[in-house]
Amino acid sequence: MRTSVAFGVWAYMVIAVLTEVEIYYMLRTANYDLMTAAVSVLATSQATAIVVFNMQLKDEPGAIRLFALIPIMFLSALLIAELASLG
Amino acid sequence: MLYFFTSLYFGIIGAILALLMRVQLSVPNNFFLSAYYYDQAVTMHGLIMIFWFLSPIAIGLANYFVPLQIGAKDLAFPRLNAMSYWLYLSGGIMAVLSFFVPGGSADAGWTNYQPLAVLTPGSGTTLVYLGLVLLAASITLGSINFVVSIIWLRAPGMSLDKLPMFTWFILFTIIAMLFAFPTLIAAFALASSDRILGTVFFTSTQIQPSILWDNLFWFFGHPEVYIVLLPGFGIIANIVPQFTGRPLAAKNAILVATALVVLPLSFGVWMHHMFLTGIPVDLQGAFSIATIAISIPFDVITLSFVESMIRGRVKLLTPMLFVLGAVVLFIIGGITGVFLSSPVLDRVFRGSYFVVAHFHYVMVGAAIFSIFAGIYYWIPRFTGRMYNERLGKIHFVISFIGFNVLYFPMNFLFDMPRRIFTYPNIGNWALLNGIASVGAFIFAGAQTLLAANLLYTWFRGPPSPPNPWGSPDLEWKSQPVLTPSPTAPTDTSESPPAGGWIGQLATPASPATETHAAGAEHGEAHYSSRPIQLSFGAMIFLMGAAFYPGILAIGLMVIGGALFAVALGGWARDDLRHKFAPPPEEEGDRWPFQGVSKMKLGMWVFLSSEIVLFGSFLAAYIFIRGAAVTFPAPGSIHDIPLGTLNTIILATSGLTMFLAIQAIRQGDRRRLMQWMSVTFMLGSTFMGIKISEWVNLGSSGFTLSAPYPFNLAASAYYIIVGLHGAHVTAGLIMMVYLMKKTKDGEYTKESHEAIENFGLYWAFIDIVWCFIFPLFYLL
Ligand code: HEM
Ligand SMILES: [Cu+2]
Repeated sequence: MRTSVAFGVWAYMVIAVLTEVEIYYMLRTANYDLMTAAVSVLATSQATAIVVFNMQLKDEPGAIRLFALIPIMFLSALLIAELASLG
Repeated sequence: MLYFFTSLYFGIIGAILALLMRVQLSVPNNFFLSAYYYDQAVTMHGLIMIFWFLSPIAIGLANYFVPLQIGAKDLAFPRLNAMSYWLYLSGGIMAVLSFFVPGGSADAGWTNYQPLAVLTPGSGTTLVYLGLVLLAASITLGSINFVVSIIWLRAPGMSLDKLPMFTWFILFTIIAMLFAFPTLIAAFALASSDRILGTVFFTSTQIQPSILWDNLFWFFGHPEVYIVLLPGFGIIANIVPQFTGRPLAAKNAILVATALVVLPLSFGVWMHHMFLTGIPVDLQGAFSIATIAISIPFDVITLSFVESMIRGRVKLLTPMLFVLGAVVLFIIGGITGVFLSSPVLDRVFRGSYFVVAHFHYVMVGAAIFSIFAGIYYWIPRFTGRMYNERLGKIHFVISFIGFNVLYFPMNFLFDMPRRIFTYPNIGNWALLNGIASVGAFIFAGAQTLLAANLLYTWFRGPPSPPNPWGSPDLEWKSQPVLTPSPTAPTDTSESPPAGGWIGQLATPASPATETHAAGAEHGEAHYSSRPIQLSFGAMIFLMGAAFYPGILAIGLMVIGGALFAVALGGWARDDLRHKFAPPPEEEGDRWPFQGVSKMKLGMWVFLSSEIVLFGSFLAAYIFIRGAAVTFPAPGSIHDIPLGTLNTIILATSGLTMFLAIQAIRQGDRRRLMQWMSVTFMLGSTFMGIKISEWVNLGSSGFTLSAPYPFNLAASAYYIIVGLHGAHVTAGLIMMVYLMKKTKDGEYTKESHEAIENFGLYWAFIDIVWCFIFPLFYLL
């Protein structure tokens, strides 16, 4: 990763967290669900940016990516079923 | 091998507990054991057998034979292996000691259903929980080691399609372990924290804590049953061809079915243990279908075994007999399992002895019988001597009969609830239970024959031919040391001298250089005493925690903590002095991971288990948020601007860490040092702000004893944010070590792996925070 990209990722991290907080103040009473959705998307995008660039997953052989993807798949199953089991 | 013998020892403890129970249950209205002792016996029998006997015995075999099968000298990280063993033992010691504390051991069933279990007082249960946490940590370290070894240490020419079946199935097992055990850690850590710190995860009645526990426990628990089973299947698949004279039928179909169906689905069927917990009907349907679906690949595997035996000319020697037994018993157990996967039938069978029969047919029948097969099969390779065939056959016959006398009657006890310590004389309960108890003693008695045979082989057995079964696998291409000394080998490093098995498939290397390399490398590494110190330090500390509060508890915690710290410092010092310099890495067959270094692969595997660990904690939190009807708005508790600032600080430390890596990639040690220092300072600032937040929160009444729902919010916040903080702190400590090495001029443009890998860890910590911040401060 080039140094300029690193600064780009960092700038994105800062902007994203500020946006999250901004969205929180804007929507927390108006539309809680929309706020939750927007903040979740932002958080996920931050995490993705770090994995792809800082952890250089994009330059690793495909097989390594499995070690990131498989647990996320399993966890999604856990989360979905868990919430569903609340009925 | 130490692993192997230790697990036998725990197996004996588990068996004694089982016999005690069978004595109690042999006749109705019996009071040999009171409910108090019976409940402990049931619970600890289950836990010890599953966690300290069945899984470890397979790991013990794997520890010895996987390196041999792939043509490696040892596992990838010998000291990690030692660490894993000592943690396993420490956890076991805690579990066994729990019987001797006032109030006794855990007694709420091996599933430790909460909140029932939370309500049982006493340090014994807490000891068991923390012992399980140590065990799970041990398994996680072991998994990392095995994954890296199997991927990375294969000898040249040992491509994946040549990998022996046992190694394949160990790989499958290990992958399931890697993703299942972190959830177990999360579950028992939460439960222990309820017991010790007074958090309220499982005591707030407002959030359906039993559903939370069931989800966490069974998300781990169902994969765990395959973890128990798969090594046995690996043994069967590995040895059947040698006794039928023809290759395994549909070998590739087995591998594909296991990798693509069994493994992924094993994490998607856990709710069949929860059909009666009031979960929605649609969900029951989905999990019922998934459960039936997952039995299909098992049909494929079983059919393949059966087909291989029918088509081939079967040599009925002891290992093969046990294979046959395992397959027959698995078929019975599998059929009863399919009954249970129907939510309707399950209503009848649930919680009855029918379930007990089911899982013992699969766990004891299929798993243990195939492990016995493996023991007989490999003992010639291990001792260089042959076991006694006649005794082996008798052992099989009596075991098989005893087993069925023990468990078959339970299939008819589907109207008798399990986990009761005595029962009235109704219907044929007395008769069937009586028969089962007789069977238990037959089965247990038969195992003395196994012990006798092992001892006989060890000391008296006739020398065995080098490859008694005509196996094509690599482990037989090297020779064991004959004439074992009366002192049993005490370490895996006693693996026989490397008579040139590496490169067997490619070019035979000169044995002399190899023997040398093997001895120098891992022989010494194994004798590092640091892993023992670390494990015992952790054990003593956790024992103290279990007894908390009190003088004794604090004393133990201080001693344990000190031992841990000293060991950690010692470990670092050893490394700084290059006491255990790793040998140069040799070329091997690494597809599809060429070009990834061993350490980096290890780091990724570790992080992938960490994803599950944090994910389980966060999933628990999200569940709590969803289940709680009222929950304090986070913004009303936490200082959002300060949290935002802290988030930015951590993100910035990610940038500076990258700049540090960039510096050393260009060979600039001075800049590396500078950026590392900046990263360290940012990390410390982050922690400083965290601590000040905690102090403020604590003094403003946001504590575990606050009224509901604040106590719940506080529990989740302190535990999860604390776990993250502990990771940051560990990172800071590692940074000190790396900076010391930088100062010593250890890192160069070409060689600075440790820095790169630390960068991965640090980035991961940042990622976790990306989720913690919005979850706890905003949503
Ligand atoms: C052939 C496929 C299998 C199916 C369809 C199946 C299905 C089930 C179901 C539905 C239950 C829940 C019963 C209840 O509590 O009412 C159950 C329980 C259980 N199964 Fe299986 N099973 C299978 C294979 C296995 C294997 C291979 C093992 C272990 C090696 C195993 C171990 C267990 C255990 C330990 C329990 C009891 C848990 C408890 O204490 O409540 N099962 N099985
Ligand atoms: Cu299950």
